[in-house]
Parts: sequence; structure tokens; C-alpha cells
Amino acid sequence: MIPINNFLVLSSILFSLGIYGVLARRNAVLILMSVELMLQAVSINFIAFAVYLSPQAFTGLIFAVFVITIAAAEVGLALAIILRLYRNKSTANVDEADMMKW
Amino acid sequence: MGAQEAYLIPALPAAAFVVLLLFGKYLPRGGDFIAIAAIAGAFVLFFPVLADFLDKANGTDFVSAEKSWKWVQFDNFEIRLGFFVDQITIVMLAVVSFVALLVQVYSVAYMRGDPKYGWYFTCMSLFAASMLTLVLADNLLLLYAAWEGVGFCSFLLIGFWWERRSAAEAAKKAFITTRIGDVGFLIGILLLWREAGTFDITEIFDFAERGGFRDADIGGLGLSGNAYLTIAVLFLFAGAVGKSGQFPLHVWLPDAMEGPTPVSALIHAATMVVAGVYMVARMFPLFVLADDIALDVVAALGLITVLMSATMGLVETDIKRVIAYSTLNSLGLMFVALGSGSVTAAMLYLFVHGFFKALLFLASGSVIHATEKQDIRELGGLAAKMPVTAAVFGIGTLAMIGVIPLSGFWAKDEVLHAVDQHRSVVLYMLALISVFVTALYMTRLFVRTFLFEARDRVAWGHSHDAEPLMTLPLVLLAVLTAVGGFVVFGFVGEALGFPGGFGKFVFFEDPEPFDFAWDVAIFSTALAVGGIVTGWYFWSEKAEPARRAGEALQPAYETLRNRYYIDDAYQWVIDRVVLTLGTIVAWFDRNIVNDTAVDGSAGLGLFAGFELKFLETGKLPNYALAIVAGVIGLAVLLLVLRL
Amino acid sequence: MGGVLFALIAIPVCTAVVIMAVPSRYPQLVRYISLLSAGAQFVLSIIVFFAYEFQGSRGLRFGFRVDWLENVGFLGKHGISLHLAVDGIAAPLVMLTGLVIFAAVFVSWNISYRNKDFFVLLFLLVAGVFGVFESQDLFFLFFWYEVAVLPMYLLIAVWGASSNFGTFVRTKEYGAMKLVLYLVAGSVLIFVGIFATFVEADRGTFDLPVLGQVQYDSGFQKAVFPFYMIGFGVLAGMWPFHTWSPDGHVAAPTGVSMLHAGVLMKLGAFGILRVGMTLLPAGAEFWAPVLMTLGVIGALYGAVSALAQTDLKYMVGYSSVSHMGYVLMGLATMNDIGVNGAVLQMFAHGAMTALMFTNVGAVYDQAHTRDMTIFGGIAKKMPRHSAFWAIAGLSSLGLPGLAGFVAEFHIFVGTFQAGYYWAGAAGILAAAITATYILRMLARAYFGPLNEQWENLKEMRLGEQFAAALLIAFLLFMGLWPTPFIDRISDSVRNIPGITS
Repeated sequence: MIPINNFLVLSSILFSLGIYGVLARRNAVLILMSVELMLQAVSINFIAFAVYLSPQAFTGLIFAVFVITIAAAEVGLALAIILRLYRNKSTANVDEADMMKW
Repeated sequence: MGAQEAYLIPALPAAAFVVLLLFGKYLPRGGDFIAIAAIAGAFVLFFPVLADFLDKANGTDFVSAEKSWKWVQFDNFEIRLGFFVDQITIVMLAVVSFVALLVQVYSVAYMRGDPKYGWYFTCMSLFAASMLTLVLADNLLLLYAAWEGVGFCSFLLIGFWWERRSAAEAAKKAFITTRIGDVGFLIGILLLWREAGTFDITEIFDFAERGGFRDADIGGLGLSGNAYLTIAVLFLFAGAVGKSGQFPLHVWLPDAMEGPTPVSALIHAATMVVAGVYMVARMFPLFVLADDIALDVVAALGLITVLMSATMGLVETDIKRVIAYSTLNSLGLMFVALGSGSVTAAMLYLFVHGFFKALLFLASGSVIHATEKQDIRELGGLAAKMPVTAAVFGIGTLAMIGVIPLSGFWAKDEVLHAVDQHRSVVLYMLALISVFVTALYMTRLFVRTFLFEARDRVAWGHSHDAEPLMTLPLVLLAVLTAVGGFVVFGFVGEALGFPGGFGKFVFFEDPEPFDFAWDVAIFSTALAVGGIVTGWYFWSEKAEPARRAGEALQPAYETLRNRYYIDDAYQWVIDRVVLTLGTIVAWFDRNIVNDTAVDGSAGLGLFAGFELKFLETGKLPNYALAIVAGVIGLAVLLLVLRL
Repeated sequence: MGGVLFALIAIPVCTAVVIMAVPSRYPQLVRYISLLSAGAQFVLSIIVFFAYEFQGSRGLRFGFRVDWLENVGFLGKHGISLHLAVDGIAAPLVMLTGLVIFAAVFVSWNISYRNKDFFVLLFLLVAGVFGVFESQDLFFLFFWYEVAVLPMYLLIAVWGASSNFGTFVRTKEYGAMKLVLYLVAGSVLIFVGIFATFVEADRGTFDLPVLGQVQYDSGFQKAVFPFYMIGFGVLAGMWPFHTWSPDGHVAAPTGVSMLHAGVLMKLGAFGILRVGMTLLPAGAEFWAPVLMTLGVIGALYGAVSALAQTDLKYMVGYSSVSHMGYVLMGLATMNDIGVNGAVLQMFAHGAMTALMFTNVGAVYDQAHTRDMTIFGGIAKKMPRHSAFWAIAGLSSLGLPGLAGFVAEFHIFVGTFQAGYYWAGAAGILAAAITATYILRMLARAYFGPLNEQWENLKEMRLGEQFAAALLIAFLLFMGLWPTPFIDRISDSVRNIPGITS
């Protein structure tokens, strides 16, 4: 059996990449993708712990499915917003999306 | 009907007031006949009350008839409003109802043609009702209510011609000045109530005689002995000072002459202004029980008023104002009498003063009515044109000076006698000096108005004695002025059904049978005659000696003309201190409390919001960084806490 | 009879709804509906006052209860219920509210700008006022309190008037904003107090009679009473939280000023008595000296400030601060005479100040100024108006025979009884200062020779005269024969714990 540490390391790397992406990128689509990375890192954690800690129960697996569903919905919503932003400002750069400031 | 029904006496004018107020406009002649009928009815009702009272008085002892109604009651706090009749009340009732009747009859002619004729009688009815209630009240609360009521009527009637700026100002001044005294009066009443637990005057007396006020304290001041009672009666006396125009609250009375002359006669001479004397006489048992300082203050303020008003009268040129000063003079004498412990002398003076002072005012009213002048520099020689008026005015003047055998003599004699017996010789000398000064300025008034040549020939030319409606009250008052003083004699009192002379009827504790002191009489008569002669020398013919004296004593003359600068001082205090204080407080309220504290805290919120909004950069990565930093921070915190 | 109390809240609410439905092209119809409704409220409130049976068993009358939330979550029996009842303290104030709204409708008759909306808001406000006086449930008391306060914002901001006083400007928006923010700040404190009390009592109900039976810990009482005292005190114009009141008056239209000073300020004092002193007697006892001090300062400070005002509304506004100071003094005496006096003063001041604002409005409508210094002798042109002014002023300075005297007298007796000699003396002095500013105003603006500029002034409208006469009738009623008031008030004051007799 693959030791759990491997999964945890993988998910940590993914999560860190996600955070880096969210913080460093200015393009809204890339930020969105980074968010997806973070979500998937969490999903890996859920599945790994589910298998290792309580193989009989499916709680962790179900959560992973929830995360995927929510991620899908979120992507749909966020892409719609980004599209509107692009239509209005001809850019997907989040730094320029400050119309609501003050 | 007996003394039990004495409450009907004020009820009549009160009813007249209500009728006149509501329907006066629709009644012929403004409804004056209703007012006069009501006050005449009150005067008539006085006699059965008197008879009933005398029956009881002659039978056993002086019995006070009482009747009272519950006004406010809850738990053990009860206020009963009621009326009672005793000797002082009888005297007051006689003066008030009689003078009020005569004055109202006189007013019918005097006020004829005035656009506010009906309103005048409405106010007069309210005044009569309040004044009669005041003298009949058996408790301090009703007394205070009526006290304020007469003050209010005085305000209305001084300001009767309110279209004149001076009248409006005089009315305001009168009300506010007396109100300052009333602050003390109400505090005094509440202090008495605090210990005695009642407003009923006789119950307070009983309480005081039982020593109830001994060692009472005010909020930890550490009072002992009679100090509490002394403070309370001095506060009461503050009310009398305001109402009766004693120094230092005398300034309103001369200005009050802005009212119609009959008003001056009734309110500012015969009745309302003596309410203070009445009140002190009524509460006299408390003044006696209190420390000596209480009566010392009464006597001292009375004497100061006497001397000040008499000297101011010397240089005043307005005929009514001179009489107003003579009223202050008389009121001061009454307080001197009270301060010397003689209720009898004070009440006797009050009784006769009601007649001769009303006479002087009404007679001066005739002069003003006929000449439309009231400055004595423009009058003169009127005796030829107005013989009746001059005669009655002369009687009034002599009574005021105190010439035997007119009523004023007997009353002044009693006062001087009391001072002689109970007070130091200095006070007695000062009182005697005032007799001389009184003679001086009253002579001046009479001489300048009625004798020698007229200074305004036009006014003199069309002047004449007034119509009978005005002359009749004058003559009646003149007769009473002449003979009223004889009530001091035992045989006169007995003939009228009283138990004896005035001193056997009105007294405090022990009857004071009439005791003619030759020395006092001789001194006072000598000074009075001396005053008349000196006055004649100064002011006869062209009044050259007076003019020279005025020039020689320029600073004194100026001081007197400016009324010792007291009015100016008050005006200064009001303008510079009170109003400045008001402006400062208003400024403080607007700029400190409101603009700084209230708007300032609102502005602080606004400012903080303005500054803090820059934390919101609108840049998504900044927010994300904050979130991450926050999560890491929380995680570290969690770890630290775990460890 | 409980229905009467419900009707007193329901009628104004329904009137507001009905008026909303009237097309705005019928302003006259709106006025008549308002008059009818206000008349009905007036009659019903008089019935409440006179039908209040004060002998026999003491306590609440005309109980009416609709449960709203019960046995849900943390709420137990009668958790939150619309519990209406009046006691002898509320009964005169209910009558006062009916009287003032009736008078206010006459005075507001000529409002033509969006008069529909004006009356809708006015009646909502009145519903709130009735609600506070009648509520026996803390939650609803708070609810009605907010209902009474919030319409003021629009009423002042839309129908008010901005004034330029030369050295400073007070816009109507400023007045409205300050008033509402101030009162809402007060109600935050009340809110905290209510929930603290609810939790401490732990009875699962907001019902006042139930909460009143709880013995609260004395430390708790001392800690929570200030929330009520200051929270309600703001609305009562307690110094130094009073500045919303004069500025609000200056900005408000006449009818709103009448309700504002006439009844709204009474809600504050009523709240201190009904909630603070009834629930937390030990707290009240502890804080009474502070309340007394603030009351005396308010009485003197308001009177002295009024002395310096030249604007009629500012003068009346500061006189309200002064007179509400008397009310607080009366409450702080903690004895039945003083508290009776406080309630009497609430009624007396309500009727008197409504009369004063009627007068200010009548002269302002014609002259378009309220500066007393530029008037002069206008009594010649407006004799009745001047008489009404004089009567209101005389009641305010405590002339015997008018309502103000009866009330102030009880308060002074109460303060002496409680041993606050200095406070009683200062209060009497404030009454003398009141005489000064009232008479100064009358002498300046109304008496003396007529200023030619005001040659065209006419007597106030008949409707205003009627309103004024009605208010005077009540001033005289209470001034001459206060027994009906005192019977009812003292009956209930005895029930308040901590009140000595």
C-alpha cells in the first residue's frame, strides 16, 4: 500500500501551487484555475484519509464528490462573471476590475 | 348666613369674571354692571360674616370659622383648600371689598370710552376674586395660589395699555420682580411643609408651638435650635418683600403706575401690595417663635424702604409716582411695625392706609382725567378749578403726613409707639425723621399741584371737577380718611359692636388697648408740622428755595432723581450678567455640546470611515493575500495554543 | 374594554393604509379622513382615561393579549405577545396622545405638499406612541418605540424648514438626521438593557408583569439601570443628550413639533418609569442622585438657554428641555409625591407645549419668520393668538390654576420630601427664569406699539383656534381640578416597587 504521506505531500504541493497561482496571477481565468487546484488538493486529502482511517465508511468519498460538484458550479458562475468583465473592460486582468471600489 | 359661608364672598367676583370672560363681548356696556354687582354683593355679604364673627367673638373667645374641601389626596399626602375667618381677615375683607367697590364705581366714569372697557372690568373681577381668596385662605397653598393670582391680575392691569412700550415693560418688570420674591415664598412654604407635613396655617402654628421645628436640619447643614424655622420664615418674608415692594425689590412699584389710575388705587395702594404685610401678620406666630434675627430683618428692610422712598418722593415729578413712593413709605412703616412686634399697629395702618391712599390715587386720577397731564411741573393752581378734588386730596395728604385727628395720625402714632417701646432709639429716631420727610414731599405734591399759579394755562383752563360718579367715591373715602382712625378708641369699637378698640380686636397674643403716648404724639406732630412749614417754604410760589437747594446739593439731587441708581444697577445685572450668562450657555450648547460633542462624534465616525476605506484597495490579489495570511496566522495561533 | 386599547393602535394604522389608497388628487378627502380618525382616537382615549377604574384592586386595566411567539426556542409561555393594558400612569398619557393628535390634525390642515404622505407618516407615528404607552411586553414596547421614532425622519426631512440664523445654518436634513440618529442610539442602549433583563430573569418571556415579579440581583440592577436611564433619557431630552430636541423642533413642521414635544418626549420619561424603575428598583435607587442632578441641570440649563434665544421655536425647544428636566427630577425623588408630579408634568407639559407650537406655527405661517425681535405689538392684530400664547406661557411658568403649577408643585414637594433641598430650590428658581423668558418674549413680540411691517397679519385660522382652545381646556381642567388625574396616577405609582410614600 502506498503510504499516506505520499498523498499528503502531493496534496500539499497542489494546494501550494494553487495559492501561489491565486496570489501571483492577474488573469482571472488563471486565478480560477488555481482555485480549482486548491479544491482538488482538498479532494485528494479527503479520499486519502477516507481510505486510510475508515475504509468501511464513504463519508470522505462523498465529500470529494460534493467538492467536484461545487467546483463545477463555481466554475460556471465564475466564468460567467469573467466573461461579463471581459465584455465590459476588454480585459480579464483582475487589477482593472475595481469599478466598485469606494 | 354666617362666617362659615365666607367663601361666597370671593365666589361672586369669580363668577362675574367667568361670565365677563365668556360673554363680555355680547353684553351691553361690556358687562360692567355685572362686575360692580358682584363686588357690591361681596361687600354686602361681608356684613353677615362680620356680625356672625362678632357674635362668636363677644360670646366666648375669638373663634375662627373654618370650612375646607379636599383638593388632592393620595396615601397620606393630603391638601385641603379652605377658608377661615379671623380678626385679620375681617380687617382685610373690609378694606378690600369696600375699596374695590368704590374703585369700580369710579372706573365706570374714568374708563368710559376706552376700547378695552369690558376687558378692564373682567380683570378687575378676577383681581377682586383672587384678593378676597388670598385674605380668606386657611392654608399656605391656597394663599400662594391667590398670591400668584393677584400678581397676574396686576400684570394684566399694569399692562392694560400694552400698546405703549413703557406699559408692556412695566408689567413685565412687576411680574418678574415679584416672582423673584415668590421663589423664596414657595421655598419657605415647602420648608414649613417638610417638617409640619401640612399646609394648613393653624396646624403649622400648633406644630411650631409644640416645638416641632426645633433642631430640624436641612440636608446635613447641621442646623440646630430655631435656625430651621428662622430660615423658613425669612424665605416667606422674601415673598412679602417682592409683593409689598420692600427694598431691594421695590423697583417695580413706581413703574407700575403705567396702569390706569383706578388700578393704582386698588391694586398698588390699597390691597395687593399690602398682601405682604397681611402675610407676615398672618404668619406672625412663626416670626415670633423664630430667632430674633427674623423680625430684625423685617424691621430693617422696612425702615430702609421708608427712608429711601421718602427721599425719592422729594424729587419725583410724576404725580402718580410720588404717591407710589408714599405707598412704599407706608408699606415700609407697616413692616417696621411688624418688625417691632406690633400686629395691631401694622394692621391699623394697613386699614386706614387703604382709605387714604386710594383717596389720593383716585383724586390724582381726577386731576389726570381733567388735565391729561401728570407731571407736577405742568400743573398748579388747580384748587380754583377743582375745589372738591383739591379738598379731598388735601385731606388725603394730611392723613398721609399724620396730622391729628385724621386717621393717618392714629395709625402712625401706633407704629411709632411700637418702635419706641420695642426697638432701639436709633430706629425710633430714623422713623421720626421719615415723618418729617413724608410731610415735606406730600406738602410739595399738594402745593405744586393745586396751589399758586398754573404752569400750563391750557390744561388748567379746561380742567374741572369730575362728574358725580367719580366724585362720590372720593367724598366717601375722604370721610373715612378723616374719621377712620377713631376705631382705636374703645368706645367707638364698642358702639360698632366690637369688643373694644382696634387693639382689642386685632392683636397678637395679648390685646393692646389704646395707649396714647403723649411724647410720641408731640414729637411726631411737631415734625409733621415742621415738615409742612418747611415744604411750604421750599415749594410755594415759584419754588425758588427748592431750586436753589437742588443746585446746592447737586450730587444728592442726581442720586435721588436716579432712584439711588438701583434700577440702573438691576438693569445692568440683567443685561450684562443674566443675559450674558444666557448667551454663554446658549453658545456653549450650540458650539460645545452640539457642534463639538455631538457633531464631533459624528464627524469622527465619518473621518474614520474615510481613512479606513483606503484599506480596501480593490485589488483581488491583495484580498487573497490577506485571506492566506489570515489562515496562516490562525493556524500558527492554533499551534501555539496547543503547545 | 381591551378592544379599546387595540383599536387605539389599529385605528391609526388602518387610517394610514386607507389614506395610502386615496388618490392623491383628493387632498381634501385625505384631510377629512384624518380628522375623522383623529377624532375617533381622541374620543377613545378619553374613554380610556375616564373608564379607568382606580379604586378597589390596583393594577392594570383593559388587558388584551394576542400571543405572537410562544413556546418556541428559548421562549416559553407568552414568550412574545402583543399584551396591551393601561395603568393609571399610562391612562392620562394615552389621553394626552389622543388630544395632541386631534389638535395636530387641525393645525396641519393646510399642508398641501404631498399631504397624503404626511398624514400616513403622522398616523404611523401616533400608532407607535399609543403602542408604547399601552404595551405590557418589552419586545413590543421596543417595537412601537421604533415605530414612533422613525417616521420623524421623513416628516422633518420632507416637510420641515431649513433656517439660516446668520452665524449658523440648520438645515432640515441636519435636524432630521440628528434626531433620528440620536434616538436610535438611545434605543440601542434600551435594546441591550431589554436583552440583559430578559436573560437575567430567565423566564422565557418578555411580558412586563412577569418580569416585574423577578427579584434581580442588586449588582445587576445597578449595572443595567443606566442603559434604560440614558437610553430612554435621550428621548426625554435629558441633559446633555438633549440637543436633538431644539434643532429637531426648529426643523420640524408645526404638527410634527406638537407630537414631538407633546408626546414623543414623554415616551422617554415614561420608559424610565415603566421599564427602568419598575423592573430595577434597586438600580433606580442607586442612580437616583445622578438622575436628579441631570434633571436639575436640564431644568436650569434649558431655562437659561431659552433666555438667550430669539427664535420662537428655539425658545420653546429649550423650554421643553427645561420642563422635561422637572420630569426627571420628579422621577428621581423616588417618592410617590414626586413621581406623581412627574407624571402630571408629562401631561401638563405635553398639552402646554403643543399649544405653544400651535401658536408658533400660526404666526410663522403668515410672517414666515420666527424671530421675536422683529415682531412688535402684534397682539393688536392677533388678539386671540396672543391670549393663547399668554396662557401657554403662564402654564409654563407655573401660574396656579393652570396645569403646570399642579405638576411643578408636586415635584417640588417631592424633592423637599426626599431631602433634595438644593434641587427643589433650583427648580423653583428655574420657574422664575421661565417667567423671565416667557414675559420677555411676550413683551417684545406681542406688546408695545405695532410694528408697521406686520400691518397685514390676520388672526389665526379657526381650526387652529379650536385646537388651541381644546388644549387650554385640558390645561384648566388639570389646573383647577387635578383629582381625576391624581387618583389614577397615584393608584399606579404605589405599585412601583421602591417608591416610598
